[in-house]
Amino acid sequence: MTVETTALEQRLSLELFEGPLDLLLTLILREEVDLLELPVAELASAALGEDELKWEADTAGELIVLLAATAELKARVMLGEQIDEEPDPDAMEARERLAARLIAYAPFRRAGEWLGERAEVGRKHHYRRAPIEDAVAPVQPGDVAELAKVMTRLLIPPPQPALGHLTIRRVSLPEVLTRLRNALATAKRISFERVVGDSGPLEEGMTLIALLELARRGEAQLEQPEPFGDIAIVPAGT
Amino acid sequence: MSDSGEMNDDPVQLARELEAVLFLSPDPLTLEDLCDLAEEAPGSVQRALHQLEERYGAASGLELAEVAGGYTLRTRDEVALICDRLRNRPAEDRLSPAAMETLAVVAYLEPITRREISRLRGVQVDGVVSSLVERGMLEESGRADEGGAMRYSTTRAFQERFNLKASGDLPPLERFELTGPEADSIRHRLADTGHVASADDGDDGDDGDDGGA
Repeated sequence: MTVETTALEQRLSLELFEGPLDLLLTLILREEVDLLELPVAELASAALGEDELKWEADTAGELIVLLAATAELKARVMLGEQIDEEPDPDAMEARERLAARLIAYAPFRRAGEWLGERAEVGRKHHYRRAPIEDAVAPVQPGDVAELAKVMTRLLIPPPQPALGHLTIRRVSLPEVLTRLRNALATAKRISFERVVGDSGPLEEGMTLIALLELARRGEAQLEQPEPFGDIAIVPAGT
Repeated sequence: MSDSGEMNDDPVQLARELEAVLFLSPDPLTLEDLCDLAEEAPGSVQRALHQLEERYGAASGLELAEVAGGYTLRTRDEVALICDRLRNRPAEDRLSPAAMETLAVVAYLEPITRREISRLRGVQVDGVVSSLVERGMLEESGRADEGGAMRYSTTRAFQERFNLKASGDLPPLERFELTGPEADSIRHRLADTGHVASADDGDDGDDGDDGGA
């Protein structure tokens, strides 16, 4: 609701109060003016005009609403009700939460005060701050050439590491294929595990690739009844 | 350590030696440090420290103090003024109540993130934490996990400033808890003032504000 400012600021001269209307309303809300002693009729005639209406219809209507609210407030006070609005459960809950937080925080606040008392004592002492210098041998003026000599060594690339002692194992796929073909020529069924025997992972892998190659070319069929089990190699056409 | 390298059985010499290292050291020295340096048993070192304590009596400008986790020589409070002048320290170097409460929260709960402090105090604490870090009262002490928020702890300067013997040399927090009637009075006060402020998150306060009742 917006009542025209001039209507709110109008000066009233009542028995109980002299001053602008908005101040009176504020004082009423703050309970600084005793509503029981305030004649609402006198207030209404002073605010609206004794003999004729001082305001435009809109303004007057809004003023009347304000005055009616004041009258209602007074009625409640007369009936012994609190001026406060009905307690809102949300507000109550928020208030309780805030109280709980303030109570939980209070120890830290007091600890802060306790620290404050000690700060004054601690403040009056000074501590040594000079660091202990490390014992480093000072660089002699003549040592620049020495330094250059030492640093130059860092610029020489180190020799390549020798790899001669390492042997590279090579497994040739054609060789493995030939070996498998020879074996298939004489046997009806070969076990993969027997073919690879004790050979290393590289040979095992190459043998498997060779097997797949044979299967792809239709030279052999592979059977593996169970996952991770042995693979049986059977020559095609048997 | 005596010059001869032998165990020191001369208490006067031991006291002299301890005085010398305490004078030189920029950090407080623990009893263990002193025993190691002097190559002496804790009993003898403690006796020698006691002697030193007596020597640095009221007539001296220095005193032997147990502070910030060890022993140190520091200036006596009676000579604070002239020392302030030497170090150009402003006479007024007080910490605000907000800073004091923030320090209290960190001291009891360290290491702790800004957000946790803020949640507890009910106000934004970024400014006050930064200023306490700048003043050497707080320091960063790592993150809880990778990508987590930085956590803060109190420093040695904090312990010196508040004359604490070591980190955590604080009265039990329970000592500061409100009594039942005091807690009730907070509730009543809130009800009386018709306080209905939302208490869900107080991060929108300002540093100068204090988060207490």
